[in-house]
Amino acid sequence: MAHDIRDLADEEVMQLVQKGDPRAFELLYDRHGGAAFSLAYRMVGKQAPAEDVVQEAFLSIWRSRLRYDATRGSVRTWVLGIVHNRGIDALRRSTVHDRRRETFDGVEERFEARERTDVEVARREEARSVRGALDTLPVEQRQTIELAYFGGFTHNQIAELLDEPIGTVKGRMRLGLDKMRRQLVGGVA
Amino acid sequence: MSDHTRYQDDIGAYLLGALNDLERQAFERHIARCGECQEELERLRPAADALPGSVEQVQPPERLKASLMEVVEREAARGEQPAARRVRERPRLRFNRPLAIAAVLLIGLVVGFAVAQLGGEDDTRTLAATVDRAMPQAGGTLHVAGDDATLRLHDMPDLGATRVYQVWLQHGDHLVPARTFEVGAGGAGRVELPDVRDADGVYVTREPRGGAQVPSEDPIVSVPL
Repeated sequence: MAHDIRDLADEEVMQLVQKGDPRAFELLYDRHGGAAFSLAYRMVGKQAPAEDVVQEAFLSIWRSRLRYDATRGSVRTWVLGIVHNRGIDALRRSTVHDRRRETFDGVEERFEARERTDVEVARREEARSVRGALDTLPVEQRQTIELAYFGGFTHNQIAELLDEPIGTVKGRMRLGLDKMRRQLVGGVA
Repeated sequence: MSDHTRYQDDIGAYLLGALNDLERQAFERHIARCGECQEELERLRPAADALPGSVEQVQPPERLKASLMEVVEREAARGEQPAARRVRERPRLRFNRPLAIAAVLLIGLVVGFAVAQLGGEDDTRTLAATVDRAMPQAGGTLHVAGDDATLRLHDMPDLGATRVYQVWLQHGDHLVPARTFEVGAGGAGRVELPDVRDADGVYVTREPRGGAQVPSEDPIVSVPL
């Protein structure tokens, strides 16, 4: 191959991964491992379990690489979807007590600031945009979405935690996502 | 409340991963045939997909990449094909959205890290089985002693008169049919498996009585070796 694989788009890199090319897989990790680890860390709240989640997720990606279908979404969304599900699994293996503490009290471990690259800057912009959309939500909708997505709680557990009817919890999830979507596409919420 | 209305209410919870396994499966069955819910799901999906972007970016440790690439390069050098290709072929699960895909990956995929080494020394070891999340009470172990192994499962559903559980041994990207078995009181099942020395994994599916030559579903029990 004449050109550097680092110039390839994600979908092209994924084609090489599907052929079993470990260098392409390494590039995939280089591009998305940071976002994957950040998501896992946000969910499980500690470094070691976050590493386990990411390692399990990326090994799954490697071993099931033929299942990726570019027509069904971006590589990044696919990768992070797998990481998210691994994170939920890890959380649901832990006790509700531990998860409640982690979710409400935040995390204890701290990391050094990353090197500022163009990608990093873009990620920070993305984060600012999505956090901005989350911030427009009524607090109860935002809390419900965060408990579900990052806390790994089911709607039943959230209803119990917040002492609200299940229907109310489900409604907040749907309404909150709808409002976020409109914010993200620049519409009027 | 109609079924349709109920499932519409579940769309947000589904996208956020907040349904339990049974609810998720029911939702996916509904949405596979409901255009209106499918449309609403796709309308809201970008919001859920954006959520990972909201988190503070933290640097993964270098050792994570190193250990990951060590496994990947070893498997690539051996020319191993994705086991999922053979293990997972089935037409039933057509709903290929991220959560569904990930759910499939979670069930019985060859994930060494999901397997706990419970103990053992020399050429004996006991491995925890990964069981389909739809059977949260079920579990089991594979005890390997030399060339032989014993698979013990508990709290497995009774399959009735027409179906049995079937064990498969993975050799590279091939699945070789092994014994069939039924479960007794308490959903307990025990299968002796001779000559697992060269096997890469032990899997269980549900098949018609008499067994099958090709698995008809994703494994519901997985023990990578």
